[in-house]
Amino acid sequence: MKTGDAGFITTTLENALEWGRSNSIWPFTFGLACCAIEMMATQASRLDISRFGSEVFRNSPRQSDLMIVSGTVTKKMAPRLKRLYDEMPYPKYVIAMGVCVIQGGPYNQGYSVVMGVDRVVPVDVYVPGCPPTPEALTHGIMLLQDKIRKREGK
Amino acid sequence: MPYEVKEEAGKDGRKIFLIQKENFLELMTDLRKQGYDHLSLITAVDFRDRIELVYHLQKSASNFELLTVRTVTYDSTIDSVTSIWESANWDEREQYDMMGVVFRGHPNLKRILLPEGWVGYPLRKDYDLSKNQYVNMDDEGNDRVSFDPGDGW
Amino acid sequence: MEGQLNSRYVELNMGPQHPSTHGVLRLKLLLDGETVKNVEPVIGYLHRNAEKICELDYYCDSLIYFDRMDYVAAMNMEVGYLEAAEKLLAIEPPERVKWIRVIMAELNRLASHLVWAGAFGLDLGMITPFFYFFEEREKILNLFTEICGSRQETNYMSIGGVYQDFNDKIIFKIKQFLKQFPKKMEGAYSLFIKNDIFLSRTKGIGILEPEVALSYGVTGPMLRASGVPYDVRKDAPYLVYDKLNFDIPISKGKDVLARCIVRFEEMRQSVKILNQALDKIPDGPYFNPKAKKSLMIRLRGEGDVYARTESPKGEFGVHLVGDGTVKPYRLHVRSPAFKNLSVLPFLSRDVLIADMVAISGSIDLVFGEVDR
Repeated sequence: MKTGDAGFITTTLENALEWGRSNSIWPFTFGLACCAIEMMATQASRLDISRFGSEVFRNSPRQSDLMIVSGTVTKKMAPRLKRLYDEMPYPKYVIAMGVCVIQGGPYNQGYSVVMGVDRVVPVDVYVPGCPPTPEALTHGIMLLQDKIRKREGK
Repeated sequence: MPYEVKEEAGKDGRKIFLIQKENFLELMTDLRKQGYDHLSLITAVDFRDRIELVYHLQKSASNFELLTVRTVTYDSTIDSVTSIWESANWDEREQYDMMGVVFRGHPNLKRILLPEGWVGYPLRKDYDLSKNQYVNMDDEGNDRVSFDPGDGW
Repeated sequence: MEGQLNSRYVELNMGPQHPSTHGVLRLKLLLDGETVKNVEPVIGYLHRNAEKICELDYYCDSLIYFDRMDYVAAMNMEVGYLEAAEKLLAIEPPERVKWIRVIMAELNRLASHLVWAGAFGLDLGMITPFFYFFEEREKILNLFTEICGSRQETNYMSIGGVYQDFNDKIIFKIKQFLKQFPKKMEGAYSLFIKNDIFLSRTKGIGILEPEVALSYGVTGPMLRASGVPYDVRKDAPYLVYDKLNFDIPISKGKDVLARCIVRFEEMRQSVKILNQALDKIPDGPYFNPKAKKSLMIRLRGEGDVYARTESPKGEFGVHLVGDGTVKPYRLHVRSPAFKNLSVLPFLSRDVLIADMVAISGSIDLVFGEVDR
């Protein structure tokens, strides 16, 4: 983005769009397990993510841009997760929150947990921790905003 | 009593009743009549050659005192106690799901935690953890289980 | 398919991803207009095989899976597991440890009920209480961070002890928190209890008779709201609950409102317990030398034990079988929310679909524990 001396701004339409997009990411309430409570805490008082334009948690995949997969994805849940992801409109982003979502976490020697949600849907930002603190999730959202502005997303 | 009950004390001082599988349902019916109205937990323990079933009962009239009933089955079948306590319904389904114990007379004996069609009973000692199973969903919302990784997501 | 179109009833699928199912519960509803005719809960979408993994791990390692069972009340889960494990391994925690555990368990009970209250408000369409309750919960989690370094899944306790000792600063901070907490809680509570809409949505809804509750194995605040005064802390005291003075709140209301009132009264009792425990906590070691860190993985146990404790959801039982090795042979958990959920089909027969949401919210479901 370049600013001219005469008080006007020149930019491309894409840049303006990405800037707007990055500051109004509407997350989808996809709470699965422990991390979902931390996701709620991120939304609640003290660590209000509306400061980053993401306060509107939508309950329908059709209205949201970002899926925060928070909590263990089991094999029984994986096909449902994929269907919900398919129902989201483009452009769409995924944050994998917590080690269970990244690679199975403490449950990776078991039989019913998916070893990483990236086997089911593509992931943009990984937030490690068990569970990650709300600050970590906020940082993840900011990383995603950077990524959108640099047009590294889809 | 027409049947024999062996009584012993557990490691933690619990009262334990040991009963033959044949007389199991009679004992449970009698215990319900004696005031044990709260069935707390049904556990199945796999000892490779046999499966031990442990029932924890409580009596609401006397401060929920605990009574453990233990029985052993060699062919993985046992009479269902759903007609005596409603709470046995989900407990027995869980033990069927995890251990493969068939409860005779259960109204709706199907898997509860794992999807229908899952192969094997995971909490048994001979369950093979190295084989991955994959779950897919058809248009109706029913689960399809397969071993084929190509069928995975 | 053709037959179903002509049918009077409509089948509706609610979940597994739905904001008012508190996680991943799927409800197959059979509706006649807006009236629920039949509900079939489908669970297992969060089945994480914790019981199997515990069989593959050492006794001391199993603790982390308990943290993640009832993930809003990790301390209570740890107390439940350690009650069983310490019985099996014949290790007695020192006196100070018992008091520390009571303090942590009660603090976490407060946090758990606060999460419930916030989520229950959201279920009924009230957004404001959520922020008040979560603010108080954040204060508790800050205390946890100071004591054990982690917010939610604390893994604070260990066999025969706790990970770190309390000091005067911590005790002072907890006391400070308790001083301001009742006022804040009552303020947010009045948002519930003085609201006509809230009352009309909860009063007389989801009536659960005590005989039915007992038969379904319901425990915890749900059973106490039906008028049965069962609380493991009183009926079979563990830790040092027999040395503390507190009451078991019961209600004769039997409905959703009664469950709400009982939970808030429990929070008041927890504050009472905490104030006493903080004054009475004795000095002494904070772990048993028989179970210090280097010896922890060599602990062996044989036989079987069953221990029950009172978690915020109800009676939490652990049945632990050892075969003389360093790993558990079989571990089975009596999950209170699993049993409490099984009564939902009974409660939601012939109620309106909006009331069914209120009923399922009043159960206090946590799916880490239902599915394990």
